[in-house]
Amino acid sequence: MTTTLFERGQVNQIRIHVLPTKRFKTFAISLYAGIPLREDTVTTTALTPFVLRRGTVSYPETTLFREQLEHMYGAGFGFDVYKRGDYQIVHFRMDTINDSFVQSADSLLGQSFAFLGEAVTRPVTERNGFRSSYVKAEKDNVRKKLESIINDKIRYAAERCIEEMFKDDVYRLHPLGRREELESITEESLYQAYGKWLTDVHLDLYVVGDTTLEEVSSLVQKNFKLDRKNSPEYRAQSSDFSPKEARTVVERLDINQGKLNMGLRTPIIYGDDRYAAALMYSGILGSYPHSKLFVNVREKASLAYYAASRYDGHKGLTTIQSGIEIANYEKALKIIKEQLESLRQGEISDLEMSQTKAMIRNQLREMQDSAFEMIAYDFNRVLSGKDRPAEELLSQVEAVTKQDVVDAAHTFHLDTIYFLTGRKEE
Amino acid sequence: MEQITYDKLQETLYHEKMDNGLEVYVLPKPGFSKTYATFSTKYGSIDNHFKVEGQEGIKVPDGIAHFLEHKMFEEPEGDIFSTFASNGASANAFTSFNQTVYLFSATDHVYQNLETLVNFVQHPYFTDQNVEKEKGIIGQEIGMYQDNPDWRVYFGLIEALYKVHPVHIDIAGTVESIGTITKETLYTCYNAFYHPSNMLLFVVGGVDPEKVFTLVRDNQNKKNYPPQGQIERIFKDEPESVAESKKVTHLPVSLPKCLFGFKDTHLGFTGEQLIRRDLVTKLMLDLLFGSSTKLYQKLYDLELISDSFGHEYNSDPNYSFSAIGGDTRDPDLLIATIKEEVAKLSETGFSREDFERAVKKKIGGFLRMMNSPENIAHEFTRYHFRGGDLFSVIQMYESMTLEEVNDRLREHANWNQLAVSVVVSPK
Repeated sequence: MTTTLFERGQVNQIRIHVLPTKRFKTFAISLYAGIPLREDTVTTTALTPFVLRRGTVSYPETTLFREQLEHMYGAGFGFDVYKRGDYQIVHFRMDTINDSFVQSADSLLGQSFAFLGEAVTRPVTERNGFRSSYVKAEKDNVRKKLESIINDKIRYAAERCIEEMFKDDVYRLHPLGRREELESITEESLYQAYGKWLTDVHLDLYVVGDTTLEEVSSLVQKNFKLDRKNSPEYRAQSSDFSPKEARTVVERLDINQGKLNMGLRTPIIYGDDRYAAALMYSGILGSYPHSKLFVNVREKASLAYYAASRYDGHKGLTTIQSGIEIANYEKALKIIKEQLESLRQGEISDLEMSQTKAMIRNQLREMQDSAFEMIAYDFNRVLSGKDRPAEELLSQVEAVTKQDVVDAAHTFHLDTIYFLTGRKEE
Repeated sequence: MEQITYDKLQETLYHEKMDNGLEVYVLPKPGFSKTYATFSTKYGSIDNHFKVEGQEGIKVPDGIAHFLEHKMFEEPEGDIFSTFASNGASANAFTSFNQTVYLFSATDHVYQNLETLVNFVQHPYFTDQNVEKEKGIIGQEIGMYQDNPDWRVYFGLIEALYKVHPVHIDIAGTVESIGTITKETLYTCYNAFYHPSNMLLFVVGGVDPEKVFTLVRDNQNKKNYPPQGQIERIFKDEPESVAESKKVTHLPVSLPKCLFGFKDTHLGFTGEQLIRRDLVTKLMLDLLFGSSTKLYQKLYDLELISDSFGHEYNSDPNYSFSAIGGDTRDPDLLIATIKEEVAKLSETGFSREDFERAVKKKIGGFLRMMNSPENIAHEFTRYHFRGGDLFSVIQMYESMTLEEVNDRLREHANWNQLAVSVVVSPK
């Protein structure tokens, strides 16, 4: 595997990670801004990037702001707000083509940094806050986004399952915040919250492309003028839980297909030495078309179109999702539970071991062909404090034995069974 | 082996046509770990009525192309996913209106995986039992889409636009229509459309083109494909007017979903002309509805649209339509407001400045797309099946004129050709 290493530095209390490479036609830029997930800041933090993308000092009107991106050969600019463990992350991304493919007067990398720096640090303001019309519109926009989760039943069931599973934990909070809090936010209160966020937030800036650490450092120096006293480190923690009897939650909506979701908790998180074994566990259970869930729920029993599992090493949980005929609930639940039990009992074939290793190996290697995936993988290191290059994880996966998988299986405890079903009794 | 160099893109494409008619293209990506390969047939959901030269014409059940795609993964020795997994390849397939694509991506055993891909798609294995079993799985897939308001509003629009043309039929069919599928009908469709002369293999990534061609050549030479006659796809006449001006679907949604579109009446374009018209229309729609336009901002400020608002254009020699919209509090007001603005723009035309910026944006978007092996393979195949060349897109943008785009606006935005689809919550 070709290993390319990030070069690292720090400017203005922003950690900088640069991977110089000529492999791509673009510069990929990611700015991760993370703070601990908290009930009193989750909503203002979520709302902030929506307001920031409306206008800056140089481009106060949203149309001008977006036209500027088009002038830069349609540079991609966007952001996501999500949870990683007990942190709320605002992730800004830019994707700008390399100057060598077009005729451009100024460097597109330089223009991108000017744009991103301004978007994050110099929003358009009026009196003591953000521009009020932008705050009003984006409050409405975020409210609509939260309300629209119910439209996509697959996503709705997944999010409701997490919410039920962590109902006494801060992790229950949605990354887009609390709808009921939006109303009370004003342009002044949001601007104050933004100022505090900018001071406290963990900032990691990544660039992959044909550039150098020196070039990026000077661009950050020039474009991110921030008054920060320190650059806080993330602290990853395995969440405390005591295994208890799984709780079943049933919810009714006007739907044709039932969604059966399940949540399992584990103390194994990303930094744990057993991480590779947990990956193998979830892989054998349900991450691939050769996995137990796909083979037994879909191919053998013909009960579902999708039946899969996903392991989240930042929080220490595995979720299972499937879409089934409502009347088949008991049947599907029984088959899924049997798969969980068979892993605990060590009913794992050599073929399942070797196929799952091959698939994980492939995923880790494929990552090297995508700038943003390489960045996301490296950011795990920042989040977890565990430096484990892809190559090292790969050899750890290769070394996982059947017994390691069984041992890992015993750390996963079924916590919540969530079933989204129709209005009518069947 | 033919070598085609695109200096501006810094890419070299290799091509060879096999004796049995199979088209093979290889795009090496030096420095890439993975290889992505697609094996595609020009056969999709719209091909439900056809006649192979020298045979009787036949009508087949709705959803059969997609059903066939599912069934191809089964081999006498088991599921082909398992073979791919043993070689660390991630495999998949999808069916659209006019093509079915089988694919894998892998970083190891690339040539072995390529052979698996070619072999399983060229080896149908249908039994009464495995066909019946699939009906349960696809039934759930259909059920999943039935609950998805985005899918329903999209297909609602196509149903409102088209009365006869099979583009309005859901790609997966219905539980009833797939109920009538048998192994015999599957073999009939397979034999008609999976002949190598109707197919294209595209390989992109860290591969050696000569090795790929040798492998495929040897593989195909071992298989005996008699020459296939012409496939005639039969489409009954579609009326010019839309099927219905408004279609309403009830599903629980937080806000109504509204999608509207114009049905083109001037059809029959093929090859480069079809591609150019496609690109011109998409650029025009971007100038009308893109997120940097005044209209977009106006609609957003009126809280008539949200980030979900978007637009697309779909074209083929015998159908073409736009689809515009998203979540809205008031579908009627949304369309009325748009109609007013479009009328003004049809009068004045777009400004040269806006046009030039939009062209720049499109060129940048194309170059960014070139970072993704998946997108290159999918787009190349789509263009090829329509008689075009993906790698000529930048030149087309560079030669586009403002007048062409303005003319297209006046032609396409014909309010007599409008249909609207909305999804609203049940009362």
